[in-house]
Amino acid sequence: MSPLPGYNVLREQDRSHMLDKIGVDSIDHLLDFIPTDLRLQNPLDLPDPMSEWQLTRHLKELAAQNENTDSHVCFLGGSVYDHHVPEVVNYIASRGEFLTAYTPYQPEISQGLLRVLSDFQLVVGRLFDIPVVNCSVYDGATALAESAWMAISASSIHRLIVSDNIWPEHLAVLQVYMANRKVEIELIGHDAHSGKIDQADLDIALQQPAAAVIAQSPNCFGIVEDLKEVIHNAHQHEALAVIGCYPTSLGIIEAPGTHGADIVYAEGQSLGLSLAAGGPTMGMIGTRESLTDYLPGRLVGETKDIKGESALALIKQEREQHVRRDKATSHICSNQALMALRSLVYLSLMGENGLRRVATLSAQKAHHLCAELERIPGISRSYQGPFFNEFCLDLTVNTATLLDKLRQQGFHAGINCSANNKDAQQRILIAVTETQSLATLDHFATAFAQTIDQIS
Amino acid sequence: MTPGITLKSARRVSVFDLSQPGMGGSGITDPDFDGETLPTELAPVATRAKTGLPELSEIDVVRHFTRLSQDTFGVDLGPYPLGSCTMKYNPKRNDTLAELPGFAHVHPAQPADSMPGLWTLFHQLQNHLAAITGMDAFTLQPAAGAHGELTGLLIIRRHFESLKQNRSVILIPDSAHGTNPASAAMSGYICKIIPTTTEGTLDVGAMREMLNDDVAGLMMTNPSTLGLFDPNIAEIAAALHENGSLLYYDGANLNALMGLVRPGDMGFDVIHINTHKTLSTPHGGGGPGAGPCGVKAFLEPYLPIPVITQDDDGEIKAQFDRPLSVGRMKSYFGHVTILIKAYCYILSNGAEGLRTVSENAVLSANYIQSSLADLLPPVFQQRCMHECLLSGGDLDVDPFDFVKRLIDFGVHPPTLVGAGCVHFSDDYDAAMLIEPTETESLAVLDDMIAQFRKVAREVELARYMIETAPHTTDVAKIITDEPAFLSMLEADKPSSAKTS
Repeated sequence: MSPLPGYNVLREQDRSHMLDKIGVDSIDHLLDFIPTDLRLQNPLDLPDPMSEWQLTRHLKELAAQNENTDSHVCFLGGSVYDHHVPEVVNYIASRGEFLTAYTPYQPEISQGLLRVLSDFQLVVGRLFDIPVVNCSVYDGATALAESAWMAISASSIHRLIVSDNIWPEHLAVLQVYMANRKVEIELIGHDAHSGKIDQADLDIALQQPAAAVIAQSPNCFGIVEDLKEVIHNAHQHEALAVIGCYPTSLGIIEAPGTHGADIVYAEGQSLGLSLAAGGPTMGMIGTRESLTDYLPGRLVGETKDIKGESALALIKQEREQHVRRDKATSHICSNQALMALRSLVYLSLMGENGLRRVATLSAQKAHHLCAELERIPGISRSYQGPFFNEFCLDLTVNTATLLDKLRQQGFHAGINCSANNKDAQQRILIAVTETQSLATLDHFATAFAQTIDQIS
Repeated sequence: MTPGITLKSARRVSVFDLSQPGMGGSGITDPDFDGETLPTELAPVATRAKTGLPELSEIDVVRHFTRLSQDTFGVDLGPYPLGSCTMKYNPKRNDTLAELPGFAHVHPAQPADSMPGLWTLFHQLQNHLAAITGMDAFTLQPAAGAHGELTGLLIIRRHFESLKQNRSVILIPDSAHGTNPASAAMSGYICKIIPTTTEGTLDVGAMREMLNDDVAGLMMTNPSTLGLFDPNIAEIAAALHENGSLLYYDGANLNALMGLVRPGDMGFDVIHINTHKTLSTPHGGGGPGAGPCGVKAFLEPYLPIPVITQDDDGEIKAQFDRPLSVGRMKSYFGHVTILIKAYCYILSNGAEGLRTVSENAVLSANYIQSSLADLLPPVFQQRCMHECLLSGGDLDVDPFDFVKRLIDFGVHPPTLVGAGCVHFSDDYDAAMLIEPTETESLAVLDDMIAQFRKVAREVELARYMIETAPHTTDVAKIITDEPAFLSMLEADKPSSAKTS
């Protein structure tokens, strides 16, 4: 007898019994309410089914074709980073109870998951220093777009002032999300010396009413912004301050909430999520209590069961699409709950000291490498503002050629920013995390110098 | 709170309760860097003294989260017949294969030609999805179903922009998922609602009256969220196309159709698929999902960038230079590891396997419907697709209480009005939507049916047990009119939020 196809579990005798109970004599008869001319006549055009060992071999062959952080030293950043992911995070996130649960609509059998999401709200609240945090959105880019819409909904002003040194991909997604909602996006420039927001530009933009000023720190050059000044300026003109951040950096850098940000958003990949070719990652949004009703997505809160005991549940669902439909704050339904779990486990493992050390080590190593590279003739720092763990260098050689040669030596040396910036012809963005050793950094610096020498 | 000996009720314990100063961060060391001294130029701006993060030992973290997992119900623990959510078995092999270093350790900003295996997989998956759905081209970028909807609607917008037609209305059946109207609003459309007939199908007459030059399209789920196949679909598609409008397919219920009927053949122009439903990727307690969006050939130029496509010379590439594209929907390429699991699922099943999936999903739902008909009569007197909408109106007990009692017998409650991602109009306020899925054996289905009957018998014998259920969980019933307080920092003021 041949086995049942795929993961099907109804045997032929089961199907016969069930058809009898329904009162039809065949599957075709069961489906006879589907018009015959719509029924597919041929089998689907798919490969023959694979056994587990064939599938494993096939996937291993595909995976083996991809360079990755095991084959190449990774100095790539740009909103996702090669930080260490503790094995405890993988272990907890692979537990089937969490992995195979749905959204906790039935709170009585989801208290464990609800506690995770509730604690995620609280722990991220501390990290961002802002009271209210939702249970996540898709990624940093959509977190920005949703945050911008919150500000527009709260202010009824359809104009955003956006710093031009946020991640280009985030800006691209913001533009798509706002395109059909009658929103004006005004880009403001950055200072060519420091790499920070051009305050004069911001002042001019703020002469017209705006829903929000959107800024990111560290920005897309890796430079830490003067958030206090930016936020103060926004508030002076009654615009909300929507601030993007890099969660790991908050181990040592003052949180946007501390400076008075109204909405804080982030790409959460650095908190215990694998690189995974860029997804799934996690979008994070926090805000002041007065803006809670504009938040997209899930919120968890404490209530009581019928015995009067404390219990957790999804709350404030009247904001959401399944209740409010076209008047909802967002369409989001499935979000990134498992990624929120991962980041909560990560932050619990790190704690006060651990996150500080991860941030400090990343910064120490990045600054060491930057200093080594700056000694190479023809290389200069693009901007003089203070950077965290990522920095831009201007080159006198062709960046693409340099990257290609270094790749042949086992390095993914950085992101080529030559095409999309006004300030320099040849530019590279390099990120360093806690995972690179001193020997690796020095070896890379030597390779970098030699390669530049070769191609100059 | 003493860490380590809180054997029960981890749910009552927050990570802050388990915090002990000085714990955490062990092993974050480097022989060559002290991890303490800030770089000179960073020091003036790196002034944060404290984050307030909890401080736990590794073993306390493992124990706490393991206990929390034990207080969470997933498909791995029992049947989960949550209508419209397709909570089927999630194959373990797929989880492992998606985490191979050649996938999980790839940085998305690597050179495009450094990940040919990934492009091959994407291209194959796009082709397989096209084969299953009868569409011509796919983007794998959308992060979840609702995100796929937004992508599809923006593609529809681009189409009419290129025709220089200004159409501002999207038609949506009253039974649609809430995400449909929400996504339509986000893409700048006005929603108009089409009523459902007493037979449970779209009111074609009402729809025809609403058709005019302003209608961009109709979003439809077929089978609908009422579990019924709409036999008028060809007529609906023809009427829309005659009006110059497009037809959007919400793929939330595609599990009923694989190998049997294809959305593309029914006349749909744009679709999305929820991989975390039909294609078995784990739902993770609320995501991440993935929502690939498929289109007919004439809409292909509008797909979001990058488009993964094969050149004339056979090389598969990520194309960015697409002047007509709607733009970028999210960072990078999509939920890669989720998509890998969907790919593995398709390859493990093959054509026969997938057809059997849909046949068995429909068979199981009808078996439940027939077996419970005396107790919970079907709302519509006809055979259903992969889920059945049964009426609890004759029960003499609140269906909300009824389904909570199922928890005590190991069955996850089905979908009720206002209790999930499905929207029901008030006409069905005592209805329950049961989706058993094809991965429950006949023995499990029979057991589920027996549990429904057991609860029904209690209505007369032990009504109190139903009204106060569940009894086997650590918390008792949670009802909607209790005040609720948002979990937030400094939550000293009561919020007016209610659970709902």
